[in-house]
Amino acid sequence: MAIPPIAALEIGTSRTVVCVGEVDEGGRVKITGVGSYPTTGVRKGQVVDLTQARVGVESAAKQAEKMSTVSIWQLLLATSGGHIQSVVNPGMLTIRSAERVVSREDIEEVTENAQSIPLDNEHQVLHTITQSFTVDDQPGIVKPEGMRCKVLTLNVMAVHGLKSRIDNAVAVAKSAQLEVTDVAFSGICAALAVLSPEQRRNGVVLVDLGGGTTNYIAYCNNVISAVGCIAVGGDHVTNDIAQAFNMTQTRAEEIKRAEGCAVLDLETSARRVVLPAQVGFEERMLSCKALHTVINARMDETFHVLRSRLDEAGVLPHLGAGVVLTGGGAYLRKVSDLAQRVFGLPCRIGLPVNVDGLENAEQPAALSTAAGLVLYGRMTYEDRGLFSPLRNLFKGVFRR
Amino acid sequence: MSQEPQSGLLLLGVGGGGCRLAASVLSAYGGGLRALGVDTDALSNRETAAGGMTCLLFGGTLLAGHGTGGDAIKGRMVAQEDMRNLMPHLQGVRTVVVLACLGAGTGGGATPEIIKALHDMGLATVCFVTLPFAFEGEARRKAAERVLPMIEENADSMVVVPLDELFHDAGDGLLSDAIQITEGLVAAGITLLWRLLTKPGFIRLDAERLHAMVLKGGNARFGFSSADGPGRAERAVAALRASRLLRSGDALAKANALLVGILAGSDLRLSEVGEVMGQLRGVCKSDCTIEMGTVLDARFDGRIELVALAFESWTAAAKLESRKDAPPVQEPPVADAFPIQSGSKKSRNKSSKLSLNASGRGKFQNVEPTIYDGQDLDVPTFLRRGITLER
Repeated sequence: MAIPPIAALEIGTSRTVVCVGEVDEGGRVKITGVGSYPTTGVRKGQVVDLTQARVGVESAAKQAEKMSTVSIWQLLLATSGGHIQSVVNPGMLTIRSAERVVSREDIEEVTENAQSIPLDNEHQVLHTITQSFTVDDQPGIVKPEGMRCKVLTLNVMAVHGLKSRIDNAVAVAKSAQLEVTDVAFSGICAALAVLSPEQRRNGVVLVDLGGGTTNYIAYCNNVISAVGCIAVGGDHVTNDIAQAFNMTQTRAEEIKRAEGCAVLDLETSARRVVLPAQVGFEERMLSCKALHTVINARMDETFHVLRSRLDEAGVLPHLGAGVVLTGGGAYLRKVSDLAQRVFGLPCRIGLPVNVDGLENAEQPAALSTAAGLVLYGRMTYEDRGLFSPLRNLFKGVFRR
Repeated sequence: MSQEPQSGLLLLGVGGGGCRLAASVLSAYGGGLRALGVDTDALSNRETAAGGMTCLLFGGTLLAGHGTGGDAIKGRMVAQEDMRNLMPHLQGVRTVVVLACLGAGTGGGATPEIIKALHDMGLATVCFVTLPFAFEGEARRKAAERVLPMIEENADSMVVVPLDELFHDAGDGLLSDAIQITEGLVAAGITLLWRLLTKPGFIRLDAERLHAMVLKGGNARFGFSSADGPGRAERAVAALRASRLLRSGDALAKANALLVGILAGSDLRLSEVGEVMGQLRGVCKSDCTIEMGTVLDARFDGRIELVALAFESWTAAAKLESRKDAPPVQEPPVADAFPIQSGSKKSRNKSSKLSLNASGRGKFQNVEPTIYDGQDLDVPTFLRRGITLER
């Protein structure tokens, strides 16, 4: 059966993006519609004003509908924010059969044990990710079926977030007459769109530099080993600039985009830029060195926080394929140079290459999450991925 | 056209209805008023331009001059796209009076965006918005009400004029004439306010004072009345107090600040001014700040017109500040191409929603802090690290 078009919504802190994707015969996803609109009413990945956020959703959905010529009334939602956390829960099972051979039923039972994660009512599990099995004392087994052992252990990582925050984002979509069929963590979506199988095998950390949050996801040996979110993003850079040089957020954002740079070097620090007069502001000069100092301080700190998180999770020594940066923040000049310095690992910018149709987009890395969410939709549709649960998400779009 | 750059006031009509209102104010005022219209419909744009008002076409590329067809999202998009076209017209402006009829595409969609952009530029904004008639349908009413909070967030003061309430004031007119009549009335009210602000008067109520007032104003109710013949002052006040726009006097009773304008002929008597002010003072709370101005015009002999703006959300602190900051009445307003640099900056910072407090959290002031290792990451890193910036 052909997969119907899939619509995905990301209510980002700076932009709201809707992507519509279709799966071709070869199984590749082609993005046929993109709608993007500046978001208001969202701070640090969390909705603070439902009415304002709705405007962005309506506008982005409308644009995506127009471009893809499908009508959207159901879609998938990507969520982010400082409340998103992950926990690894081990499930154990004593093999009861006389021969002590692991059967399919044993695997199902241990999976069930591992997935029953003790969380209070305020939290909602977004993903349960199967990491690997341990057969007696031998870790890192992918397929234990048929193996002989006494105790089978399975590690499951649960990505969870505060239910109320997630519900708020769902409510925004609902107020725009759109039904949300499934919610996924933005970082996981971005990884689906950007990372290659080889990178995942070799060990990689994907850092999604968003407007209000920085999401990360680390793969070691093809297994998701660390997932999380730091509630600091591009908005913080803008806010720092605005406060350092006494200007409005709008102006600070413009300057960040035009003259921003993540590192200080001889080439740029000597320059001074003229801020042309605007209504309400006289012409003034700004030292690039000062500007880059402010940006460098913020980005350096963010990468250091991230580094210590990865260190805690013990994944740093396993990242053979280095660091991949994506999201709108990846377009900050020399940001990969800075990341390389902080992590001591090779670093590159990642574009959503696992989907087609975004080759001509203005800043494709800013669309990684929404494009990856379409891939997530395809995966849950096919129900052979690592992710659960499978829900009813395909009535969402129909061809006009 | 001769303009009044020194007043620093700009009348900006947004959308078809807003432009029509602005054009009626312009024609009633008789030239010399700085007015501008913004619309998406090329056809109605031409009509407004024929009336002598400059009208900018927004959405030339997106909508090709066909209007928004009642779609507020389109209105919003074109405003974002074409806001820069408005910039050249804002030189020397400090206070923008925005007129818009909510419920349709351009008025409802573009107005919040425009107000936000003006606010970000540091200009003071007073927004007069009309809510549609009940007979225009529930959908329009809801659309209009959805927009109100967005305007309120960025406008320094917002004056909401529900057309239904105005219609009762206008009497039992023909349904087909209702919009015209009521819009005419709103325009008359605003014209009156404009006259008070710009024409030399006996007691000046200048643009500076309006500027100071709107910066702290918040939401306001707007009412006006007129009377002629003997006992005109008494009847005009009675009509004002009974005005449904001022919630039959309720808005006056609850107002924390009141701006009253009296327009009359050269035969205005001191006793009549006393009558008007005495009666209004009697209705208002004892601690209500009342600002008053008069304009005398020989054409209005035998007649008196009153206009009142009743502000509801003044705080005591803001009130004190306004007294301190308000310039002497006789001082002419300052001509200033860069409004935020002028004397208003201090007061604006104090009341501005973007103001920074000592914590340095800036735009993250009202959100949950991101604490890491005992540090609040919302505070700029360079501040926490004690980095000195080379200016």
